[in-house]
Amino acid sequence: MDQLATKSDADRRETTTKTVLATSLDTDEATIESHVDGLEDCELAKTYRDGSVRITITGEELLALDTDNIVIVDSM
Amino acid sequence: MSNQDDTQSEDQIDEVQYDPSSGKYDIYECVDCDNVVLVVGSDDPPMSCHDRPMERVTDPDISIKPPDVKQVLLQAFGLPKAGLDICLCVIGEGPLSANEVAAELDYDRSTVTRYLNTLVDLGLLRQSQLNREGGGVVNVYHSIDLEWMRRETLIGFYVWAGEAASLIEDANMTQREYLEANTGGEIPDVFWESKSEE
Repeated sequence: MDQLATKSDADRRETTTKTVLATSLDTDEATIESHVDGLEDCELAKTYRDGSVRITITGEELLALDTDNIVIVDSM
Repeated sequence: MSNQDDTQSEDQIDEVQYDPSSGKYDIYECVDCDNVVLVVGSDDPPMSCHDRPMERVTDPDISIKPPDVKQVLLQAFGLPKAGLDICLCVIGEGPLSANEVAAELDYDRSTVTRYLNTLVDLGLLRQSQLNREGGGVVNVYHSIDLEWMRRETLIGFYVWAGEAASLIEDANMTQREYLEANTGGEIPDVFWESKSEE
């Protein structure tokens, strides 16, 4: 999520791609996709129809908490 | 062999063998009074009472059953199995949605939320409210500082153990007084029933 926050912005709706994230994290796109899906389930990332992705306001606020041990996001 | 022998054998296996050399914990007693202390982690400086070093207990005679961590957490902190499952489920994981936790543990979503709040009440999780992008708020539960948690759970357990020890000591004293007042008599069941009601 740190990488996603670095390469996108919630306020300005700036997005990045899973390819860019995979390259910067030296992994494959399937792994990135799995992580992004998990973040999206927690409302921490948003994926657009064209495949671009960005961090959400919630995600940025979560990072601002500066806690190492995030556990559960309950969006009831 | 009879079933009774088998049961007895299993009971003997299912006992705590106190090993003072294990270094896990130590029990000391005062040679001058009835002060008994439990020391976990260190005996430096050595425990003392009446200005004399206390003696390490090496051979308790009473049979002691091994504690079950789930029962301990339930008894001491009121943390039931579901709460413990949630704690264990999230260790080492990244962000998880409450739905994922519910699916993984096969609990209702409402059960997960209820126990998350219980864990917050117990001080084992911290809750923050974040703004949801589309409006409203999102509850985030995150673990507290692990060193703080270690200290709090240990001290919390000691408080519970102290309360338990007080109950046992109270029962011992009452038992002694009863036997002194009723020489040679058996302690009736009503005595223990009255202890459990207190």
